[in-house]
Amino acid sequence: MKDIDKLQKRSRKLRNLTERVGSTSLAIAGLIGLLFLGVLIWQIAEPTFIKGEQGEITAVSEWIPESDYRFEWDFPNIDENGNLTGDPVVIRFEWDDENGSHSHDVQINVIQTRQIKTDIYIDSNGVDQTEIDVGRKTKFYAYSTLSVPVTVEQISGPVPNADDTGYPSVNTFVISGDVHVLWDDENEQVFQTLELLAWTTLLILIIVFTWPHETVISLLSKIESYKKLVRGVFYILAALTLSLSFEFSDKADILELENYLPTLDAALGALCWAMCGTILYRLLEGIERLKNLKREIHETSRLKHSISNRDGILMWSRMLLFTSTIFIPLLIDIPFLTERYQDIFVPYASGIRAAFYGTIWVMLIAMVVSIPISVGAAIYLEEYAKPNRITKLIQALVTNLAGVPSIVFGMFGLAIFVKQGGIGWGLGPSVLAAGLTMGVMAMPIIVLGGQEALRSVPRSVRESAYGIGCTRWQVTKDHVLPSAMPGIMTGTILAMSRIMGEAAPLVVVGATAMILFDPEPLAALNGGNLNFTVIPIQIYFWTAEPDHAWHSMAAAASITLICLLIAMNSIAIVLRQHFRKRLKS
Amino acid sequence: MSEKIGGEVVPDSTKKLDVNGEIDLMIEDLDLWYGDKQALYGVSLPIAKNSVTALIGPSGCGKSTLLRMMNRMNDLISICHYDGKISMGDTEITAKDADLVEIRKNIGMVFQRPNPFPKSIYDNVGYGVKLHTKPTREELDAIIEKSLKRAAIWDEVSDRMHDLGTSLSGGQQQRLCIARTIAVEPDIILMDEPCSALDPIATAAIEELILELKKDFTVVIVTHSMSQAARVSDYTGFMYLGRLVEFGETDKIFSDPDLELTKRYITGRFG
Repeated sequence: MKDIDKLQKRSRKLRNLTERVGSTSLAIAGLIGLLFLGVLIWQIAEPTFIKGEQGEITAVSEWIPESDYRFEWDFPNIDENGNLTGDPVVIRFEWDDENGSHSHDVQINVIQTRQIKTDIYIDSNGVDQTEIDVGRKTKFYAYSTLSVPVTVEQISGPVPNADDTGYPSVNTFVISGDVHVLWDDENEQVFQTLELLAWTTLLILIIVFTWPHETVISLLSKIESYKKLVRGVFYILAALTLSLSFEFSDKADILELENYLPTLDAALGALCWAMCGTILYRLLEGIERLKNLKREIHETSRLKHSISNRDGILMWSRMLLFTSTIFIPLLIDIPFLTERYQDIFVPYASGIRAAFYGTIWVMLIAMVVSIPISVGAAIYLEEYAKPNRITKLIQALVTNLAGVPSIVFGMFGLAIFVKQGGIGWGLGPSVLAAGLTMGVMAMPIIVLGGQEALRSVPRSVRESAYGIGCTRWQVTKDHVLPSAMPGIMTGTILAMSRIMGEAAPLVVVGATAMILFDPEPLAALNGGNLNFTVIPIQIYFWTAEPDHAWHSMAAAASITLICLLIAMNSIAIVLRQHFRKRLKS
Repeated sequence: MSEKIGGEVVPDSTKKLDVNGEIDLMIEDLDLWYGDKQALYGVSLPIAKNSVTALIGPSGCGKSTLLRMMNRMNDLISICHYDGKISMGDTEITAKDADLVEIRKNIGMVFQRPNPFPKSIYDNVGYGVKLHTKPTREELDAIIEKSLKRAAIWDEVSDRMHDLGTSLSGGQQQRLCIARTIAVEPDIILMDEPCSALDPIATAAIEELILELKKDFTVVIVTHSMSQAARVSDYTGFMYLGRLVEFGETDKIFSDPDLELTKRYITGRFG
């Protein structure tokens, strides 16, 4: 008896020790991981966003003896007919050198058309132009290759967004990480403000919804009787946001992504408003129900349960929030992301606009191609296919495809989509070929994820539906798919985020190192310019540059990519959690 | 032909079985296999119209399989195959080209665990109705109200028709499932141990409901509770090792069974 006691005591001791050692080592490992991550982020962030602002620029000037100054005006001073409205913008460049003092005036015409950019070059012969055209919302640069400092002064016209000293020195530089809100004109200002407001309101409402606090709820319960009115107001705001966008989207060139962005932004904004209205309505309804049941307001957990479990409204609103967050860089102007192309000579004046748009297009094409086919295949394999030899073969092939290295998919894309002749479609090294390749790569992952999700739908769901006389398609459509949808979407988003960070297949397909324009998605079909690039490719080529400044830019692009990936994965996490919760209840 | 099961000689299970009144569903000489394993051996059973037929027997004896065969629910299991005939009037349920949707509409099923759809109470009942008919809003409301009243749950849910069906208690969920089943107006309702997941009070409510349903529907119920079978059923079939060893009026089975095996089982002195 005593021996057994001893043994038990020893084993308990051992167990406790293992527990403690295990948890401590796990905690230490986690902390080291966090530390590592912190150091990594700091190493990436520090040269780019902090040090780069002053120090690194001189390094650039060492091998190209030039300095530059950025100008921007946000409002046109030329109407459609080319007539000046108001004072002309005139800039005076002045410098002193061994030949005496120089003074040159340049007239700037800010015109309605976007993306026209003329730079000013100053050398020992003077300024190369006396009058230049610059597109609205486009930045242009004045470059000097003189060894002496040049002063810039605006002598007439409206004042641009200048340095805060008011009298800018020539060495001022624009840094890639800067965030500032740019308004095109007064009307557009209203519409963008509406969108940002919608986003913020949605964020606040989701927070209220997720952690309903007593004071907030009791405040809300005061407007409970006006709930229909409140919802109406939000719907009107949604309609307003949407209607304003149509006025400003320019549909002249239907292949220009930028022309759709305002509409897309506005649609998201409108959705945000509508979702706000619905959430608030549901919340107030829930409060009313609680009151009818003679419950106290402080039973917020009950409220949360009764609303959030109702029809996944919370999940959808969270998804909407995440999705619209990805589009925030287009709303608030982040020049690095949405304004600047790569500048061959000046790393810090470069941006990843071309790569960002390329990524968006490749992702969109890949999604359009892969999601319907893969989800359909998953449903067929799981719900319809008889378990015979052919099905087993297909299943094995799909499973193996998911493990094939991505470069192999690149070769596949090269052979099928890029090359002309034989089995090749002859799309060339274009966005379309890249999107199709990426879509093919995502397919097996989505199929497997979808099958997993469909398989995890409990049998009772199918039985109960069959039991009242549903056909197979009705069972799939009305019962199995809604239960499996979050799982399928999780798989889809994970597949999408995987192909977003994938560079290898596109190296084979033929993404280019540097392009100075927006990629055209359908160029392969209508004979436009085929060249495109995506963020991972841009990072890859920038890291291969000899100048360290480019490495910082690559780091900045990496951070952008990481942010995008985190956003995508957050959606997946939200979906998964929602899925689990619903299975439990 | 006779067989020896459980140390006892039982009469041939294909012998003519009689019930009073009209026969709603007739099972004749049904054999069933799951892969290589035979689960039912030559089962024949008549189901009388507007009566409650109970199937009793130890676990694994094939009662649920037999029940699920009556509306071809076993087709969902890919390794299951069968031989024999089940007919309902002129319709042959086991026919290869049988209309499964029509069969399952006419022969509804209530499962062991309450499994309402993750929809509102209203949609739970209305879903099946909308599938099979195209009712107007008023007609649908009327059908739903009627079904819920017949399932004796109307009073409890009438003020929260748009809450989730899964938010109800276990007993309420089961009655909701019964309401869902009777909303499509089946002829026969199959119940697979409908009370095994419920407490005694909810069980009593369901049993009362079954007696009420008997007036309009034919009910076949699988149960593990002898007392429940005795309370609600008109006919009882005792199954053992895949065979229907004894079938007859409940009073007779419970008071004076033909076989010693049946007697031992219902008195709880089994094996």
